[in-house]
Amino acid sequence: MPASGGESLKPSAFIPVCTAVCLLVGSTSMFFVFTCPWLAVTICPAIPPCCAVLFLFVLANFTMATFMDAGILPVAGEDEDKEDEFRAPLYKNVDVKGIQVRMKWCASCHFYRPPRCSHCSVCDRCVEDFDHHCPWVNNCIGRRNYRYFFLFLLSLTVHMIVVFTFGLIYVLHHMEDLWKLHCLVTLVVISISGLFLIPVLGLTGFHLYLVSRGRTTNEQVTGKFQGGLNPFTRGCCSNMEHLICSPISPNYTSRSYKKAVIHVRPPFLRPEIDGQMPMKIRDNGIQSLAIQDKQSSAGSVELSDIKQLKHPPPLPPKPDRGLLKSQVAAMDDVGHHTKSIIPVSIPTVPQLRPVLEAISRGSSPIPPEQLLKASEQQGNNKGPDLCSNPRESPARGNHQASVPVQAPLLPSTVSSSLQLNSLTLSSRSLNLKHSSRYASNCAAGSITTSSMLANQSSSSGNGKPSFDNLISPADPQFVAQRGAPAVSYHSHLMAHGAEGAMQRPSPHSYSPVFMGVTRQSPQPRDSTSRDPSPSLPGFLQRDSSPAYHGLLTRDLQSQSIATRDVPPPGLLMRDMTSLGFQDNLRDLYPQDMTLPMSAAARYDNFSKTIMASIQERREQEERAGKFHVNARSQALYGPDVGIYDIPSRRSLPPDNIRPAGSRGPTPPAYGSREFLMSTGILGYGMRTSPLSSSSTSSLTRGPKTSSSPLQSSSSSLQSKGRSSSPAYGPPERHNQGPPTSTSTLPRLTSTTYPTPPYTSYATAKRSSLPFSSEGKESFPLGVLK
Amino acid sequence: QHTASLVTKVFIQRDYSEGTVCRFQTKFPTELNNKIERALLEQTVKTLNLYYMEAEKVGGQSYLEGCLACATAYIVFFCMETRYEKVLKKISGYIQEQNEKIYAPRGLLLTDPIERGMRVLEISIFEDQGSSGSSPSSGMSSCSTAR
Repeated sequence: MPASGGESLKPSAFIPVCTAVCLLVGSTSMFFVFTCPWLAVTICPAIPPCCAVLFLFVLANFTMATFMDAGILPVAGEDEDKEDEFRAPLYKNVDVKGIQVRMKWCASCHFYRPPRCSHCSVCDRCVEDFDHHCPWVNNCIGRRNYRYFFLFLLSLTVHMIVVFTFGLIYVLHHMEDLWKLHCLVTLVVISISGLFLIPVLGLTGFHLYLVSRGRTTNEQVTGKFQGGLNPFTRGCCSNMEHLICSPISPNYTSRSYKKAVIHVRPPFLRPEIDGQMPMKIRDNGIQSLAIQDKQSSAGSVELSDIKQLKHPPPLPPKPDRGLLKSQVAAMDDVGHHTKSIIPVSIPTVPQLRPVLEAISRGSSPIPPEQLLKASEQQGNNKGPDLCSNPRESPARGNHQASVPVQAPLLPSTVSSSLQLNSLTLSSRSLNLKHSSRYASNCAAGSITTSSMLANQSSSSGNGKPSFDNLISPADPQFVAQRGAPAVSYHSHLMAHGAEGAMQRPSPHSYSPVFMGVTRQSPQPRDSTSRDPSPSLPGFLQRDSSPAYHGLLTRDLQSQSIATRDVPPPGLLMRDMTSLGFQDNLRDLYPQDMTLPMSAAARYDNFSKTIMASIQERREQEERAGKFHVNARSQALYGPDVGIYDIPSRRSLPPDNIRPAGSRGPTPPAYGSREFLMSTGILGYGMRTSPLSSSSTSSLTRGPKTSSSPLQSSSSSLQSKGRSSSPAYGPPERHNQGPPTSTSTLPRLTSTTYPTPPYTSYATAKRSSLPFSSEGKESFPLGVLK
Repeated sequence: QHTASLVTKVFIQRDYSEGTVCRFQTKFPTELNNKIERALLEQTVKTLNLYYMEAEKVGGQSYLEGCLACATAYIVFFCMETRYEKVLKKISGYIQEQNEKIYAPRGLLLTDPIERGMRVLEISIFEDQGSSGSSPSSGMSSCSTAR
């Protein structure tokens, strides 16, 4: 029998268990001594051994139910609770098999109670899979010992039936010697067993029902899953199987930990996140189509979410498909590289937040200012180009289209754009050739490519000041890289006109440029579908091209230009920039977008909690008014609720009126009408709403309570709106009265006050049966608990 | 000579999406971003989850254990170690090994969840406090996983 709370053994707590033991052992012993010999002789000699085995089983289960730790959770250390008590939510929602389950903060144990866990006021501990606190074994029934309790009930029922039956047979056969000792004793035995058989049978039936439904007593009484789905049930048979056959979970509190000394000495290793990307750049080779699986797949996953295309891009020429694939692979690297380097000054800062986090984790070799400068320069420079030569060369269009996209760029972007610059001088096929060559050059390394591009741009001489400007920023590589995919795409746009064309082919033609430039080896992509490729390269193309394309088409349509006339370049560039960046960033970092949500997700919807608590408060206030009317008539029917520990119903209606976290007045005195009304009726009458309302009376956890049960009980009672349910120590009961457990037993005031409610109920039962009018289920429960 | 001191603790919470079976979330805590690779921690948590799944498996061995316990009036529990306990020992050894090989070199330390009632997986973060000339109260060169 575990000691309760901070107090050592209380003699009154042992009364019911001693009574139970005495009754059980005494009656059975007398049965064996006085009745069994005749039975063995008259009916069957196997009766006494079988009865003995059965009795042994009863005792074993009783002992295990009494002495086995129910699954008490150790109190959390102070460092586990870092939240400010006044601001942390009282509840945390967690999704269990699709059903939202609420975890309440336990003020005594300093953690959020796991699902099905509840705080026992008698033991003053949170118990896993808390069923109830049984006074007859003076122990909590929880996860670890529920099966023993259940088997005890079953075996006790059978044993009592057996004893009663055989005793009756004996008495009936000895009617003439009814006043002899043997007969008298047997009469006493069968009267005891017959008397206790009814509540025991009722309780056994109740627990059979609970097991079949996969509920604990606590959940049944508080009506948690009434009318709703129980996420913890596995089906009737599976529940039974788990009850009997599941492994016994370990004891948490009394474990002998092995002292393992581990030396933690600096210097500490650190993850080499920064080193990975440059490695990829250097290792990348145009020839090698070895794809960095992770990154490309990650990129493709992200890209698949991007469906921004309104019109598919134009198809590339078929012979170039192989090239396109490698280029697409290269594009993946571009996108990935782009992911890590994004200037802060981009307008879409909220969308960039996850990107910024990535940047803070990774490397950001290019200062944001330079990047922005480069992008601005590109934008300014590209404008006139776009205006002037919408059709002259696809590459040019691509260049210009890519400019705004280049802002979040990688060093190799400049090279790619420069490459494109050179391509503008030639036909499309030439462009493709150049791009492939460029991709091979890019493989040599970002530095070399950038230098090469610089040369190319300088040698282009086509009067593309924009590209020259690309070189001028501090990190031209960065600027240039991003532009390539867009450029390639736009080349097709310009070339092919408005017919729906494959987006991928055009970028593919230039993707190796970027891929080689950035960091990863080009990844082959299957450009079979007409949809934007799911990979990053496809995305890169897409973010620039679809947006750009969409802009173009919209503008074109508005201007009724079938040949994709160029809208005002400045406007176009700005739109491209914002859209491109937004798309790029959003698509590139879908997983990172969830990062800021992770912390919030842990504390679900705080605002919802607030609203829910406010509503519940209102409801409870309304209900408090109603209850006063019906209090007297319903007070008698509250005992069921009081019998079982209902940790979730912790608040009294008056407490709800107080502001959350404040220390309000003492709750109504035990036994008072308000007390009874608030708790008993709440518990019995309406299982669901009052309970939920009462349990969410206060939003926050309130101030921290000390570990001692007395202090914790008082503080929990007063301040936190019942954040810890019956964390009331026994002395608290004297002063304030436990709102839930003994509230419904107004007649049991004097003798059984300090004892657990179940015991007091049983005492009442013995003295008088005030609640005999109730159903059987509640009655045996009260007796036996 | 450098010393390490405890800076903070990160708690990986339980994953209750599958019910009350013991599982820990594999979500990577942001506090460990610069301390350890995601894959390593994820691997550790997944392995722990597998261990717990094995411990809590309802199957032949647990059934036999239950029957034997019933038959011997639960006296067998004094003599024999349950399967869960055996797996817990394995877990404890695994955590010890992981700490020695992976986490301690990175200034981290895992605490066996059983010490926290299987509610959280506690990761202690240590920082280099510089040279040994600093005050001894702030330095901690070793720590034990048990309490």
